[in-house]
This record gives sequence, structure tokens and C-alpha cells, in this order.
Amino acid sequence: MFSLTVLYDPECGLCRRAHEWLAEQSKIVELNFVPCASDEARRRYPQLNHDLTKQDLTVVGDDGGVYFGPKAWLMVLWSLVRYRDWAYRLASPELLPTTKRVVSMISQNRYQIGRVTGLNRLTR
Amino acid sequence: MTIGISTYLIYLAISVALTIWVARTLHKNGRVFLVDVFHGNDALADSVNHLLVVGFYLINFGYVTLALKLGYAVTSAEQSIEALSVKVGMVLLVLGGMHFFNLFIFSRMRRRSVQHNQPPPIAPDAFTAVRQEA
Repeated sequence: MFSLTVLYDPECGLCRRAHEWLAEQSKIVELNFVPCASDEARRRYPQLNHDLTKQDLTVVGDDGGVYFGPKAWLMVLWSLVRYRDWAYRLASPELLPTTKRVVSMISQNRYQIGRVTGLNRLTR
Repeated sequence: MTIGISTYLIYLAISVALTIWVARTLHKNGRVFLVDVFHGNDALADSVNHLLVVGFYLINFGYVTLALKLGYAVTSAEQSIEALSVKVGMVLLVLGGMHFFNLFIFSRMRRRSVQHNQPPPIAPDAFTAVRQEA
């Protein structure tokens, strides 16, 4: 796999901050950022359920593999030089349930987190 | 030559010989690791190997030099041997520590490079058609 497309939520401050952070990291696999459910996303993936991608982070590989929610986060980590070993660690059978729980919690509360930390206003 | 001077000279001879031996071992056997890490790029592997060995020499000779002073007069052969055992023992421990640190660096570099070619940690939830870029 040579590239991943990240379908992110452009409405959320936390996601925009994460996007900026990711842009600075050195990568093993190229990351393309496309706002979820946008025209560009629909053009690239005509068969994808785009309403679902609004609910949680979605990553699509260049082979068409769709990773949703916590799996998408792990794939993003996996694409980074410095955090690839963390992706394997967090995806191990012992840690995967905890990873999923924590990531889902952050994801579901992303607007509140953005509001509390001021990230929603910061980049607007 | 007094027994004190001889003690210092023997200490230096043993320490320098040990350092050179460990550094050469590291240089000879570390190369295979580095060539693998740098995907067969021999020139780069040799360069990094050499730089690591230079650092190894500097740290160890630095320690050997700093630890030379005994702080008391050696008057008998017995005292000389005791002093040597302490000093050379310390040098051996420092060399051992440095050696394992080098091994740790080698293995970490190798792990990173191996990971670069590993598949994703998880399977996708589904597959979708991808429209190729125009």
C-alpha cells in the first residue's frame, strides 16, 4: 500500500488540529486528506456510504480497503515513521479493545473536546 | 621505574587492548546488521558503522583516561594487583555497558527498517471501488 485517503470531518476543531499535526509528521505511506461527504470524496468513492463517514473518521487505502473509526486511527498511526510500532502495539489482541474504547470515546465527543479546549474557535 | 608507574602503565595497556578488541568485534559483526538495515546500501552501512566505532572509542578512551588516577601510593606488588583489579574491572563494566547500548541501537534500527515493509496491523472493514485519478 502506497497511499491512504483520510476522510475527515471539516466541522470539528480537534480534527483540523490533528490534520495540521499529521501534515508535519514524516510518513511511510502517503496521506491524502479529503473532507468527508464532500464532492471530491463522492467522486473518488462512488460506492461508499458517505453518510456513515460523517459519523467517524474513515480511511480508504489505495487498494480500496475501508477502515472505519478506531481502525482508521490505527491506519493513520501506521502510516507515520515515528508511530508505526505504536500502531502494532495498540492493535495487538491485548490492547485492541481498550484502543477501540478510548478512540470511540474521543471521536464521539470530538465537538465537546474542541469546544472545551478552544480548538473549534482557534482555526475558524 | 617505581611500582606505581608500572601499575599505571599496565592499567593503560590492558584498558587500551580491551577497548580495541571490543571495538573491532563491534565493527566486524555490526556491519551485517547495518547492511540489512540500509537495504544493502554498503557504503552507507560502512559509514554509519565507522561513525559508531569512533564514538565508542572516544567514550571508552575518555573513561580510561579519567579513571587513571589511583589517589593513593602503591608500594607493593599486592597493592598493585588489587588496584589493577578495581580499575580494569570498572573499565570492563563500562565497555560491557557501551557494548549492550550499541547492540540496542543496532536492533532498534533493524526493527524500524523491518517495520517499513510490514502490512497494516488490522484488516479493513470493507472494500470499495476507487475511481482512478484523471
